[in-house]
Amino acid sequence: MAGWNSMAPYMRRYSIRILLFMASYVVILTASLSFARSGAAHGQATKIGLALITAFPVIGVFWAIFRLLVETDDEYQRFLFAKQTLFATAFTLVIVTVWQFLQVYDVVATGPQWMGVIWFAMLGLAGPIARWKA
Amino acid sequence: MVCHAGSGRTDCALESMKNRLKVLRAERDWSQQDLADALGVSRQSVNAIETGKYDPSLPLAFRIADVFDLAIEAIFLRD
Repeated sequence: MAGWNSMAPYMRRYSIRILLFMASYVVILTASLSFARSGAAHGQATKIGLALITAFPVIGVFWAIFRLLVETDDEYQRFLFAKQTLFATAFTLVIVTVWQFLQVYDVVATGPQWMGVIWFAMLGLAGPIARWKA
Repeated sequence: MVCHAGSGRTDCALESMKNRLKVLRAERDWSQQDLADALGVSRQSVNAIETGKYDPSLPLAFRIADVFDLAIEAIFLRD
């Protein structure tokens, strides 16, 4: 685990948090969907509870990313991370805006959905762009 | 920042500071990684500062000055 040992402490904390939240997400999503689709009728409060429980690890990933910005003690790396999150936000807003108007003009049936997932995908895309020539 | 006044408006262009990091490192036979370790930052950060892609904050500039045992203005130049 040479890579792990040479990793900055803030990156180690970030990696552990991301792994924990992603593992929690898989477990919670699987369990919640199994429960919701078990055939039994569920009340509105239960459904809201399931939605909040399933959203929790995704919100946790957002928290972990923004904690990374706070905890990075290397200011140039923090600048690059901040640039990456701003690029991801800008790309997501572009996609969502176009998608919204596609719905307005009846090109697609549904408007923007899964924006958190889109943002995560854009964060991945923004990484090499923010670090290009860095 | 360099500003030029002309024809009723002021044009300002962001320019990075020049610095003597590469020369100072060479004098001490330090690699970028050696300096990065002394400063507690990544080698990529030292490279970005050295090549003028990134101007360090005042606290980091003071840390760099301490590592070289020089005044900030002996390392970072006005233009």
